[in-house]
Amino acid sequence: MTIKAGFDLGSAAIKVVITEGEKIVWRGQTPTAPGQEALAKSLLDQGLGELGLKSDAVSQVAATGYGKGLCGLAEIRIDEIRANAVGLFKLSEGQARVIVNIGGQDIKIIHLDDQGRVADFKMNDKCAAGTGRFFEVTARLLDTPLSEFSRLSEDSKESVSLNSTCVVFAESEMVSLMAKGAAKGDIIKALHSSVARRVGAMMNRDNLDEGVWLDGGPATNAALAKALEDELITEVKALDKPQYTVAYGAVLSLS
Amino acid sequence: MNNTENRRDRLLKKTIEKVLAEEKELLSWLKSRSDYQAELDYFLDITAARGTAEIEARVGRPVLNLLCNQVPLELIAAAGYQPVKVASGSLAEASFAAYSWPALMCPVIKGVLTKLEIDKAALKAPWVIPTTCDWVVKFWEARKMVDPSPGEVKFLELPHFRQETESQSKWLSEVIKLKEWLETVSRQKIARKDLLEAESALARVFVAVTQLKKARQEGRLSLIWFLLVIGSLFYDLPDQWAQKVTELINKLPQTATTGPKVFLAGSPIFYPNYKLPILIEEAHLRVVADDLCSSERIFPPVGPLEDTSIHGLLASMAGRYHQGSLCPTFGDNERRVNNILGQRNEAGLVGVIFVVLKGCHPYDLESSTIEMTLKNQGLRFLRLETDYALEDRQNLLTRLEAFRHSLSGD
Repeated sequence: MTIKAGFDLGSAAIKVVITEGEKIVWRGQTPTAPGQEALAKSLLDQGLGELGLKSDAVSQVAATGYGKGLCGLAEIRIDEIRANAVGLFKLSEGQARVIVNIGGQDIKIIHLDDQGRVADFKMNDKCAAGTGRFFEVTARLLDTPLSEFSRLSEDSKESVSLNSTCVVFAESEMVSLMAKGAAKGDIIKALHSSVARRVGAMMNRDNLDEGVWLDGGPATNAALAKALEDELITEVKALDKPQYTVAYGAVLSLS
Repeated sequence: MNNTENRRDRLLKKTIEKVLAEEKELLSWLKSRSDYQAELDYFLDITAARGTAEIEARVGRPVLNLLCNQVPLELIAAAGYQPVKVASGSLAEASFAAYSWPALMCPVIKGVLTKLEIDKAALKAPWVIPTTCDWVVKFWEARKMVDPSPGEVKFLELPHFRQETESQSKWLSEVIKLKEWLETVSRQKIARKDLLEAESALARVFVAVTQLKKARQEGRLSLIWFLLVIGSLFYDLPDQWAQKVTELINKLPQTATTGPKVFLAGSPIFYPNYKLPILIEEAHLRVVADDLCSSERIFPPVGPLEDTSIHGLLASMAGRYHQGSLCPTFGDNERRVNNILGQRNEAGLVGVIFVVLKGCHPYDLESSTIEMTLKNQGLRFLRLETDYALEDRQNLLTRLEAFRHSLSGD
C-alpha cells in the first residue's frame, strides 16, 4: 500500500488529502494561521491516526498553495493552477475543460486541453473582489454562517442589487440594504449575482460551450453555481468536496 | 497652512529616507547574487549617483531632461546637453505623490513628480516632452504645481499615425523646430560636425547595446542586470558607457542559464522596481528579448546615414525616432506584433509576458489586441497587471510558475 499526502496551504485554509494509490482515503482542513507547516503536519497526523497508520506510513508529500514554500515536509512543490488542473481533470474523469476556482484571495480561470494540461489561465489582480475573503466579510456582516448562504439565497423573495464586488464598497451597500430592511436571503442572492458578474467579466471572451467546473471552497454553495449559470449562460458543475481538489492534484503530481 | 506645509515637508523627508532604503536593499541584494561581477560596480555606482548635479559633474555638460523615447538623443547631445530620460520605479516616490495626485495615475509619472521635489536641480534644467500618452501630456501642468516658475520646455507634437506622409513631414518639422529651440536655449548653433559626432557616438552605444542583447539572448546576462546596465546609459558619456559595457561583456561567463525562453513586452520597468524581473527569475523563466521603452527600445536602432547634410541628418533622425518607436499611443502599431513574431524564430521564443502598469491605459488596451493575435499564431501569452507595491508578489509568482509549466508542456 503506497500512502501519499498533498498539502494545499491556501490563504484562508490549509487542506490535506491522503491517498492510497490514486484513491482519496482521508481529507481534512483547518483555518490558515501562523505556523502553517506545524498546522499541516498536525492535520496529517490526525488523518493518519484516524486511518490507523503511523506517521512513517507516508511515502511522499507534495505541497501547493501560497504557503507551499513554507512546507519543509514536501518533496515537491507545484503551483496551484497546475495542481487544480491535474486534480479536477482526474476527479471529473477527464470531462473538465474550464475551471473557475474561487479561492480565499483570488479567482482563477483555468482552461484545460483534452489531456488535462493547462492550456491557458487567468487570475484576478490583487483586488479581493469576489473571492472567498469577500464571502467571509459578508458572513460576518450578516451574522450568518457561509453554510447557510445557499439555502437563504434560494428562499429569496425580493430582488435587490449590489453594484460593487469591492469588499469595502459592497460592505457599505449591504449595511444600507440592511438598514432599509432587506431580508438576508435577498442580500445574499444579490451577493451571488455580484460575484457571478465579476467572474463573467474575467471570462467574457472564453469558449464555454462544454460547461464550467466551479471549484474551491465557495463551490459548495449551490446558489452561487446557479448565479454563475445565469451569468455565463452555460452549465456549471461542481464536485462533492471541491475544497480538496487542489491538494489532490498536488498528490497526483508526485511520481 | 503652515502646519500643512510642515506635514508635507516631514512626509517628503520620510520619503527620501524610504527611497534610500529601497535602493540600499536592492543594491545589497544585487551584490549578493551569484552572477554579480566587479565590472557591474561601475553601473551600480552611476545609477546610485543619478541626481542632476552628480550627473553634470560626471559628464561635464548640462543636463536636459526628457520623457519617452521619441526625443532624438543625438540632437540633444549635439547641442551640448546630456540627455536624461527622467523616470522612477520607486514605490516610496510613487506613494508620496498620492498626497497630491490621483491614486490611479501612472506610477511612473507619480514617481517623477516626487523625484522633482527631491532633485531640485532637475526642476531648473530644460525639458523636452513628446506628446505621447495623456499622463505625459498633462505632466508639465502637474509639474508646475511642484514649482510654479516653469523652466524651459519644448513639447514635440507627436503624430499618432506614422504611415501617413503628412504625419511624417509634420514630425520632421517638429524635429527641425526642436533643433532651433535647442540653439536658442543653449545659445549655440548646432553645426553639421556636431550632429555627425553625436550620431557616431550613438552608433557606438548601439553596438554596445547589441552586445548586451546578444549576451542576454545567450543566457550569459540576466534580465535584471540588463535593465540596470541599459538604464544607466543616461547618467554617463556615451563613449565611456560603451567602453564599460565592452569590459563587462568580456568578463561575462560563457555558461548559459536555462529555462523556457520568453519575450517581455508592455509597460516600462524602471530602477529600483525590479519586482517583476525578480519574480520571472524565481519562476525559472528566461527573458531573451523585450520591447520595453526602458530596455531594448530605449532608443531606436541606428543604421547607415545616406544623406549627411544637416537636413538629411535631421530627416534620418526624425524617421528613426518616429517609425522606430513601438509606443502604444500610436494608432498604427502592427510593428509591435510583427517584432515579437520575428523574434519567435530568431530567439526561439515559446511565450510572451505582457506587463501592464496599473493606470497605463495605452498598454492595457494594446495587451488585448496583442494577446489575440499572438495566441492565434500559437504563442503562449501571460498578461500581468501590477504596480510598484509588493503585496501581489505571491499572486504574480503563482501565475509565472503556472505559465512556465504550460510552456514546458509537463
